[in-house]
Amino acid sequence: MENNLLKELQKNLTERIMVLDGAMGTTIRGYELTEEHARGDRFKENHEDLLNNGDILSLTRPDVIADIHRRFYEAGSDICETNTFSGTVLAQSEFFVEDPRKTGGIKSPEFFQKRVIESQFLKDLTWELNVESVKLAKEQADRVAQNDGRKRYVAGAIGPMTVSLTNVVDANDTAFRPVTFEQVKDAYRHQIDALLSADCDILMVETIFDSLNAKAALVAIKESGTDAPVIISAAVGRGGETMISAQKVEALWNTFAHVNPLAIGLNCSLGPDLMEPFLRDLGNAATTNVSCYPNAGLPNPLAPTGFDLEPSHMYDYIAGFAEAGLLNLAGGCCGNTPEHIAAIAKSVEGKAPRVVPVLANV
Amino acid sequence: MPTIPRLLRLSGTEIYNHTPDKNFLMIGERTNVAGSPRFRKLIKEGKLEDALEVARQQVINGANVIDICFDDGLIDGKVMMARFLDLIQAEPDIQAVPIMVDSSKWEIIEEGLKHLQGKGIVNSISLKEGEEAFKKNASHIRNYGAAAVVMAFDENGQAATYEEKIRICKRAYDILVDEVGFPPEDIIFDPNILTVATGIEEHNNYALDFINATRWIKENLPFAKVSGGVSNISFSFRGNNAVREAMHSAFLYHATQAGMDMGIVNAGMLEVYDQIPKNLLTAVEDVLLNKDDGATERLLDLAESYKGQGAKKLAEDLTWRETTVEKRLEHSLLKGIDKFIVEDTTEALENYKKPLSVIEGPLMDGMGIVGDLFGAGKMFLPQVVKSARVMKKSVAYLEPFMEKEREIRIIKLTKKLQAERSDLSEKNARREAEKANSNGKIIMATVKGDVHDIGKNIVGVVLACNGFDVVDMGVMVACDKILEAFDKENADVIGLSGLITPSLDEMITVAKQAEKAGLGAKQVPILIGGATTSAAHTAIKIAEHYSGPLVHVLDASRSVPVTTSLLSLENRDAFIAENEIKHQKAREKFSGAPKKETISLTEARAKAPQIDWSNYRPPVPEFTGTRIIKNQSLRELANYIDWTPFFHTWELRGVWNEETQTLKTKNVEGAKIALELYHDAQDLLEKIIAEKKFTATGIYGFFPAHRDGDDIVVATTSGRVAKTSSRSQSKVVFHTLRQQQKKTTGKPNFALSDYVAEKDDHLGGFVVGIHGADEWAAELRKTHDVDEAIMVQAIADRLAEAFAELLHHRARISWSIERPSQFTKTELIHEKYQGIRPAPGYPSQPDHTEKPALFELLNAQEEIGVELTESCAMHPGSAVCGLYFSHPESHYFMISELQKDQIEDYAKRKGISIDEAEKWLGPWLGY
Repeated sequence: MENNLLKELQKNLTERIMVLDGAMGTTIRGYELTEEHARGDRFKENHEDLLNNGDILSLTRPDVIADIHRRFYEAGSDICETNTFSGTVLAQSEFFVEDPRKTGGIKSPEFFQKRVIESQFLKDLTWELNVESVKLAKEQADRVAQNDGRKRYVAGAIGPMTVSLTNVVDANDTAFRPVTFEQVKDAYRHQIDALLSADCDILMVETIFDSLNAKAALVAIKESGTDAPVIISAAVGRGGETMISAQKVEALWNTFAHVNPLAIGLNCSLGPDLMEPFLRDLGNAATTNVSCYPNAGLPNPLAPTGFDLEPSHMYDYIAGFAEAGLLNLAGGCCGNTPEHIAAIAKSVEGKAPRVVPVLANV
Repeated sequence: MPTIPRLLRLSGTEIYNHTPDKNFLMIGERTNVAGSPRFRKLIKEGKLEDALEVARQQVINGANVIDICFDDGLIDGKVMMARFLDLIQAEPDIQAVPIMVDSSKWEIIEEGLKHLQGKGIVNSISLKEGEEAFKKNASHIRNYGAAAVVMAFDENGQAATYEEKIRICKRAYDILVDEVGFPPEDIIFDPNILTVATGIEEHNNYALDFINATRWIKENLPFAKVSGGVSNISFSFRGNNAVREAMHSAFLYHATQAGMDMGIVNAGMLEVYDQIPKNLLTAVEDVLLNKDDGATERLLDLAESYKGQGAKKLAEDLTWRETTVEKRLEHSLLKGIDKFIVEDTTEALENYKKPLSVIEGPLMDGMGIVGDLFGAGKMFLPQVVKSARVMKKSVAYLEPFMEKEREIRIIKLTKKLQAERSDLSEKNARREAEKANSNGKIIMATVKGDVHDIGKNIVGVVLACNGFDVVDMGVMVACDKILEAFDKENADVIGLSGLITPSLDEMITVAKQAEKAGLGAKQVPILIGGATTSAAHTAIKIAEHYSGPLVHVLDASRSVPVTTSLLSLENRDAFIAENEIKHQKAREKFSGAPKKETISLTEARAKAPQIDWSNYRPPVPEFTGTRIIKNQSLRELANYIDWTPFFHTWELRGVWNEETQTLKTKNVEGAKIALELYHDAQDLLEKIIAEKKFTATGIYGFFPAHRDGDDIVVATTSGRVAKTSSRSQSKVVFHTLRQQQKKTTGKPNFALSDYVAEKDDHLGGFVVGIHGADEWAAELRKTHDVDEAIMVQAIADRLAEAFAELLHHRARISWSIERPSQFTKTELIHEKYQGIRPAPGYPSQPDHTEKPALFELLNAQEEIGVELTESCAMHPGSAVCGLYFSHPESHYFMISELQKDQIEDYAKRKGISIDEAEKWLGPWLGY
């Protein structure tokens, strides 16, 4: 069945540029939720604040999350990402397990093993969170599809973590890492199993700061045995390198080509203007679809969404990319509201998708 | 439709795409412990900074990929692979290039894959363990997205011939591409570059076999790559770099023409093909391309002249015939001349009377020299084989005489045995007598899991040439088969060989099983040999499992004297004793002390030293509180330097005598180097002093203190420390640890607190630091002056130690337990004085977390700028701290084998968790 889905998506992608959704985090902010909203009754007693734990809203304010999905689908998204950006035990632990550094300890593999990886509470919570999030998105996908007759898809968002496998945290011991590859992989595997159990269509390893963390996620996907379509998307800085592990985009492609992803692309961190040269580099190297969902420019605290670019600006940039033959999938990251996505959907409408190069046996 | 060519595409943080214009992919091999003794040494000594520098140099010198390997019996390869790759992640210029994770152990490969953000290469997998394991491992590599080197090995061993190579590569290719789904461009075959010119005829075609196999692979297995370890080809010319470099270049020239894509090549060991002298090139190519049977001989002759000795005309120069028969025999053996050997052997037999005396005398002496020269790289394998053949000819002449003697002895012995034991049948008596007389029978085997047998074959040849009865069981021999054969053959010695690292573990298994089978009790010798084995590993890891003699044999030529000694009635015991001493030394060097029996904390406390406090008045220091030295004269410190440890930085053992300026060591070359180093260090020290490159700061102080159980309570109520009201009321507690080894000598179980009285005593403390060295060394490293950087830091370390010595000297005088000028400099170095200055983290109190209390007590960070990091390391790196004890009985001792009861007690006293205590004291725990 999943193979059929993959074929279906691939067919779509040869015919048109498919549209992704916009920002979850910055769009949530438009609902002006409070700490009490985020906690609900269920987490009333939690000792850490939960307002910035966007994923938890799938459990405490499912109405808001569902509404956001609906708005994006209605604005023209073919694919929406689930509200599971931080849906691993490692990411959720930040909100539920006291930071050992507060009491003179350190974050170490021992800490994460005992308090996080083996925490039944976190395992249950993240399982539920992922399953519920897929359900929320699926319901809206089906409802909107029924209304306008175009099929919608749900991509399980697999975000980066607050811990990195390549980043040096102790200047005295540059080989020290707070977590192990195995722990990161286990945490991702748990999330992936939960997403798949709720029948999400696509797995989306995205906002990759650290290629080794992403590798752990992708090995976990391989080891799960699924043949669900995979999208890989990196967050690169102004030099075109992954933000933490400093890998160039072509090098990233070489690293993950074996996954044979449905698409590889760039998101977050930069606006479309700064992202363009790296999108070109990636497009020249990748023998698969290329996706692009940049931020709405750079952060601007004075703008209503917190970002520079208006929907009309995004329209211009993405239309330009599409005309240059750079795109197979387009959407928006931080700062992109449903209005932005509507503009983006319009900008790619009727434009030919990038022709995917094939591997030549020469 | 746009296309992208199918290429081997790799990555670090940057890409490496193996496009056609790349010609040859250079794999840096200096970060392989098996290939670089320097890298191995740095890793073993934990000098990872410098080891990283080796990696960096390779990238700078143009390596496209760096090969990283920690396969060594004394390195925990899995841990080191993880650690080193993590360290590389902090080095932008190194992590730019793809990495080759190199190990013969699968678990190390697996670990390596988890620490590579880019697409690297696994080196290697093969069909050695069968198809199932091969497929499983290949799929695993696929999940991580790496390329893989596939060795031309299968269940039956290593492919040596052309036919074997292409058959195995084809089979592996089909499995990988058709069954595993491995992209063919990510398959890199290593069809085994094997050593040529060994003097063994079967090896003559090895280079050509590789080249032809490469051509076949490139033509028949689309997109597959070919790689190989090039230096192997010239191994028989070890030490003759001119010839080796020429061989490498010529080999690469022909192999790349055939399509070889990449290789492990030491770029420093490569001659430019066109610049190889014509005659050498011809000789080298004749060998590589196996032109005719005389090719090896010709290259060997020519090789002599490239050692700068000039060609010798042996046939004409017969002056060596004029010396003694011993010298003549030696000459024949060394030069491999068999022309006069029978003549000389006859003469020797007349002199020595007994044929065995000739063998054990001049012949073995000659072979001993051959062995030494080979070991030193001054003789090559084919020459050793030639020597062995001359030896064999001599022995063959002696054999009938020995046979006659033997027969007489056996008959005599048989009769004697029958007379002693009437139950013995004649047949059995003769059998026992024969055994008692045999030169010895050796079971030789390459252990299970290992298919390398060239080295073992050579040992077999050499031993057989020397009258030993060799039973060669071949390769991949299971332990029980070896022991079974030993029994069946009624053998005397077992010889185990192995080339790859896992063989080391298998050798341990064999040693254990042999012990179980009672061979240890019977004192059956086991010989250990092969490229990855070492004397140290044998002593430390294998010998403990076997109670009989277990001897590491460095190379083939050594096997004869070793085996002869082990089977000689006269020399045997002395040899075994000497071997045992060597093992003991190696073990002590490795681990400090053997595992000991322990006692409970309660019992240990009861066995604390009985100090008679009633008749003792603790000395009172002339001040309490602290004194600060903001800028200590470096010139004065220079006088306090103990240079001996300085040379340890360069692996030069021995004791430095300042007066004669000599390093007392057996190593003559080492002593010379030491003197040079010393002069360099003096020059640098002079520059440091003149240009004020370093600043030395120090603080020391005394405080009222008393003992409370195993703790020492220090009051900070007086002196300069009492700066704030909160401090003025406070106390600092030092926690000490007590020895828990069971002592058979009736010696007490010490803890540092034992040296402090229960009331009215004092404790001192100090911190010194040398500032400026770390920064300077870092600068030097940037400009790749690693040696100079090491020198700077070594001198800074010496100065810090000297400062600690100087301050301790002053402190003892302040404490009136020593008069000024009471001791000479040498006496000071030998610590003839009263009192000690133990540092937290050192043997008497190994817990580094005692440092913060000391730093707090002295306010050291603020006063002299020496900082304590989270992991309790001091910054600057060249810094020393410690406590002062004044009691006349105080001395340094070693804490080890700490038991759980003490850790629980200690954690409670310190107010930390047991986990925390165990974490910091891990290496000293005895449970």
